[in-house]
Amino acid sequence: MILASPLTPLENVLRSILEWIGPHGAVGLPWGWSIIALTLMVRILLVPLTVKQIHSMQAMQAHMPEMKSIQKRFKDDKQKRNEELMRFYRDNNVNPAAPCLPILFQFPVFIALYLVLKHSNRLIHIGDNVRWLGFVPDITHHANAHWSGYVLLVVYVLSQLASTYFMSATMDKNQRVLMMILPVAFVPVLVKFPVGLVLYWVTTNLWTVGQGVVTRRLVPKKPAAPPKRSSRTPPRNEPPAGDGDGDGDGAEPSPPGQPARPPAAPKRVKRKKKQARR
Amino acid sequence: MILRLPGYLGIGLVYAYRYTFGVLFPGGCKYYPSCSQYAIDSLRRYGLVRGVILAGWRLLRCNPWSKGGVDYAEHQRLFH
Repeated sequence: MILASPLTPLENVLRSILEWIGPHGAVGLPWGWSIIALTLMVRILLVPLTVKQIHSMQAMQAHMPEMKSIQKRFKDDKQKRNEELMRFYRDNNVNPAAPCLPILFQFPVFIALYLVLKHSNRLIHIGDNVRWLGFVPDITHHANAHWSGYVLLVVYVLSQLASTYFMSATMDKNQRVLMMILPVAFVPVLVKFPVGLVLYWVTTNLWTVGQGVVTRRLVPKKPAAPPKRSSRTPPRNEPPAGDGDGDGDGAEPSPPGQPARPPAAPKRVKRKKKQARR
Repeated sequence: MILRLPGYLGIGLVYAYRYTFGVLFPGGCKYYPSCSQYAIDSLRRYGLVRGVILAGWRLLRCNPWSKGGVDYAEHQRLFH
């Protein structure tokens, strides 16, 4: 209720877009597919931000040995370890973690879509075309109104687990497990949500998974090129020394054609392992 | 104690966020401590109004074009 008034403009925008995609609009999709199309539009808007992150992850792959050594060095001190890792990311201009702002951007969209579906009677001609894929009778009903809602909730939980798996790669193990378990605990709450919202959720999760798969495909490829050819990384970003101390930037300016650096050997080992797993 | 109450309310909201939306829309953070931990620290230390401003500023900095890094609430330079 508190969120209702500030989000009303966004709710109206989403409603107009949905009506435009919807059965009586220009595109003419049934409502269920309209919601999926709207979700995809939101995610496509966010793609430029992810491209930046994929580049960052590719660059990071080259710094793996130093990161491993930091993790080993501060194995027992979580705070110090995280501080050192963050400093290392900053100094080398790589950061594997997703920034918070784009994630936060999805909440208002999500809540506004919830409001659109809650006030579904305001959508033009909502009465028709509310079925989806033949087995969901009405996407504006609560998920617990029909057995199909439970099917979708199962799909939702699976998609949530998969997307959390990809998104939480930078987290601690305990935190990661918690993040995987909690969505299941939310199911009793989610049964009261409109089926259309579950559709939004499943779609956005599957998009995240797809993005994660694409990212993982792209990432191991990059270091397969010999380090001397890494045109993406300017010379000053090269690892200083084996110990990965961010401040020790005393690397002598070596000619660009000389990759003779200690981390090169463990890097190659890492790569082989990655390829073997694939 | 009563003066600190609004700040604690804010902290409660951050925790509520963490275990609902934070779980449903997972992601990391480019900074250490994370944005939500930064919000909790700044609310505890500087109260509701200044805490919210600091946390908001931090969130704006946690964008794809920033570098991230180590950034504690007590090292802020906005308020003295």
